[in-house]
Amino acid sequence: MARYGMALDYKNCINCKACEVACKEENGVELGAEKHRIWVGGNNPEGAWPLLDMASASFLPSQCQQCEDAPCEEVCPTHATYYDENGVVRVDADKCILCSYCMNACPYDARYVDERTMTIDKCTFCSDTRLARGEMTTACQATCPTKVRTFGDLDDPESEISELLRTRDHFSLKAHLGTKPKLFYLT
Amino acid sequence: MSVEVSRRKFLQGSVALSVAGASAISATNLFSSENASEHKSTNSRIPSTITTKTSTAKAEHVPFLCGICVNKCAGLARVEDGIITKLDPNPYFPKNRNMLCPRGNAGIQTLYDPDRLKYPMVRIGERGDGKYKRVSWDEAYEAILNGTDKFKGIKQILDEEKDNRATIGYCNGEGLSKEGFEVLVGEKIGSPNYVDEISICLETTLGGYVNTIGTYGEADLTNSDYLIIAGANRAEAIITPDTMDMFKRSKGRGLKTIVLDPRFTNTAVKADRWYAINPGTDLAFVLALTYVTIKEELYDKAFVAKHVEGFDEYKKHILSHNYTPEWAAKLTNISAKEITKTAREFMAARSPIYYQGRRSVFSKNDFQLRRAMAIFQGLSGNLDKKGGIVYGQKLQLPKEDVNAPIYGQAQARFDKDGIAIPSLKTGSWIVFRNMVLEGKNPYPLRAMFMRKHNPMSGVPNTKKTEAFLKKMDLNIMIDILPSDTAMYCDVILPEASYLERTSPVASYGGMEPAIVQRKAAIKPLYETKTPEVIYKELAEKLSKPLWENTLKYDEDVQDDTEGMSAKELEEYYKENGFDLAEPWEKPVHEQNEERITKAYGKKAWEILDEKGVFYPHMEEYHTQLNPNEFEYYPENKKHYSTQGDKLKVKCNLTNLTKKGVDAMPAWHDDMEFSVPAGKFRLVTGRHAQFTQSGTTNNAMLRDLIPTNYIWINNQVCEKMGIKFSDKVEVKSPIGKVTIMAYPTNKIAPNQIFMLHGFGGSSEKMELAYGNGANDALLIEDKIEPVYGAAVMHDTNVEIRKV
Repeated sequence: MARYGMALDYKNCINCKACEVACKEENGVELGAEKHRIWVGGNNPEGAWPLLDMASASFLPSQCQQCEDAPCEEVCPTHATYYDENGVVRVDADKCILCSYCMNACPYDARYVDERTMTIDKCTFCSDTRLARGEMTTACQATCPTKVRTFGDLDDPESEISELLRTRDHFSLKAHLGTKPKLFYLT
Repeated sequence: MSVEVSRRKFLQGSVALSVAGASAISATNLFSSENASEHKSTNSRIPSTITTKTSTAKAEHVPFLCGICVNKCAGLARVEDGIITKLDPNPYFPKNRNMLCPRGNAGIQTLYDPDRLKYPMVRIGERGDGKYKRVSWDEAYEAILNGTDKFKGIKQILDEEKDNRATIGYCNGEGLSKEGFEVLVGEKIGSPNYVDEISICLETTLGGYVNTIGTYGEADLTNSDYLIIAGANRAEAIITPDTMDMFKRSKGRGLKTIVLDPRFTNTAVKADRWYAINPGTDLAFVLALTYVTIKEELYDKAFVAKHVEGFDEYKKHILSHNYTPEWAAKLTNISAKEITKTAREFMAARSPIYYQGRRSVFSKNDFQLRRAMAIFQGLSGNLDKKGGIVYGQKLQLPKEDVNAPIYGQAQARFDKDGIAIPSLKTGSWIVFRNMVLEGKNPYPLRAMFMRKHNPMSGVPNTKKTEAFLKKMDLNIMIDILPSDTAMYCDVILPEASYLERTSPVASYGGMEPAIVQRKAAIKPLYETKTPEVIYKELAEKLSKPLWENTLKYDEDVQDDTEGMSAKELEEYYKENGFDLAEPWEKPVHEQNEERITKAYGKKAWEILDEKGVFYPHMEEYHTQLNPNEFEYYPENKKHYSTQGDKLKVKCNLTNLTKKGVDAMPAWHDDMEFSVPAGKFRLVTGRHAQFTQSGTTNNAMLRDLIPTNYIWINNQVCEKMGIKFSDKVEVKSPIGKVTIMAYPTNKIAPNQIFMLHGFGGSSEKMELAYGNGANDALLIEDKIEPVYGAAVMHDTNVEIRKV
């Protein structure tokens, strides 16, 4: 029993997409540009060359926000989407009927159709791969060149993530929606 | 937060979507037997799906060294039932600091690429038409020796050329088995005509730095506080450990970062300031920084007095030429105010670094640019110390002596036209190729032995490379994929990829030196063999017949061996190195064990063999700092300062003058950047998701960037009526390509950019074939005058919507 979350030192992100590839290889996500559990959002700079507005260009690594109050879970008619014992939002492939309510409900666009398993799939924090083997990092975290991510147990005051959240300023995406994301962006 | 970008919005705005890949071609040939969406192989050693979910079952973790690019990151291959399901970073190697980049992660897809070379192949059609016959290894070696009805073998060629071994040329891209290929073709077979990839890479950077400060060095970006990074794009062209160190501290977090690049790159996104410098004018920028530094006496006087040679002459040279910020502003497109500010900030910083840069030669003045950069760094005094350019240490490996035979009939290399300092060992690709094409070679060049190198894509002017290859009597390729160049080869030998082979140990120097070993994670797939086994078997095949040829023509050998009995002759053959296979008597793993045990003891070998990495006291020093980061050496054991009084910065290289090269970096009027009206300067570059042409057939990476686009300034596009993904014809003095447009404000109105490595011509690489455009079809084959290295950013082009 844990309450897993992730802190992202997002200013480190260089948009290399190592996390996306590591995730696909670890979790057997099928090929295809639209099939991914992780992505990096990027803004092109505003302005005309050469006076570009540098502050308007940035990278934002993103994935399922692992909401404590997840809209995708709420709307799922078959209870395919559920919270596991560690608070991770998971999908039961056997129950999923591809109705795609969850895709529409998710404010973060974190879900996609896996045509191999016929599931509206999403990030699992590597629960059935790395965590199931007793490892304590996710694939995206482990591979990152600039070490953007720190995964860990929010209920454990000794954990690195708890320490980070105690000592560094951070924000959540679309916090005003009240979904209580467990991804925290460090500033 | 304005940075919030959803998946859909990101995809819509991204260059990564909206374009279908290359049209699928029929794969009914020997090269390819499966399609790209699923592995339909009956081979139990190939996974059934392209990506394989890792299981909770028992797995092996084999230490490997990545072979996707030059960095050699250490990783652990997860092997389940003989199939590699995942590549993870190896936390022990200080160079890659516990990470793998997207290409490193996608290495699995190169291993299991359905288009891989699987069997030895001999050409039965015409060069370039892709018609080959599958043969056994022995038949392939036999074809190299004796030819077929389609091409001549090496034995006949050397007979006709009276044992002049220089009629063979050879090349090999970067890698751990490259040295072995140099031993085989260079030292053992006796060809002096090696064309190393360095002349299409960073030769002038290395040369400029080594001749000025004695090393290329390592930038200590963990401890620096001020960075000028010009013409280097570490967010996209990943170099370890620089990329990882740099971006953890950019954006107001300790490392002030000034980026100079004609384009607004991902590195520029991370900068405090970005200067859109005109291509090829960096030298003017550095000279002006130097002017401010000297004029205002901002330099480290104690350091200069002690370590900088020829400073007084340089000072006079800089001041008398009036390399003022105002002068440079007109040339560079950077204002005098900004240049002055940057010079002052740099010299006032605690640990400033003018990043050395890497990659290719941009302009003809590149050697002098690197000299000027190195001297400017020296003026700050921030050399050979923490936070500066560091010389570091290297862990020595025992030297392996090669018993190289002497061939009396072999002539010397000839590629010296227009080069001040021709390299005896590595040559100049462009000069070598062009002299052969123009018939300026003093003796015939008749064969090319090639390995892991794709000059059809890498060397400017593809048409000339094609003509050059067609001119040969015999072309041989050892590689893992049927590259554009392989399609012009007569014999193709399929190599085991880096995950299927144990490679010779390598030592990486720097602040935190280490020795690494790549270990085979799985056995070679199909009928592929490791490079060292190929070298050995090919050497065995060629050894005696070529020796007979030497006996027939080499008068020195004839004199030496006159009247010898058969037994004595055999002894002479062995003692004098004519037995070509002798360096590969022992398998690589055994050689590694012997070398490491000899130098560092048995325990060191055990550590290296188990963990893939070794350095003295590793088990004691290596500690985990947090879930992501490790300490490799304690602070007081890092090799920050190693030079002492030996440290010299050489401003004035007077011996260059007699070779026609400026003794001190100077600006000349013909270096000015200008583009005729209606034309554009072509700029090329790399990306974090691809390594040149080597990875464009990788299915996973293709998901991230499906093709290369031409970047055109958005206002220019508006005028020309060009929209995103419109087809555009790009025409240079040497050729033309068609490519899709990417209108953007991130490039100047008189410049265009495209990623290098796309536009493959080999139909046997299904994903790479015809996808995007090959920049080598456009870039004129110009050289810089010092080493004869290829100049990449000196071509103007026209564009039109088609």
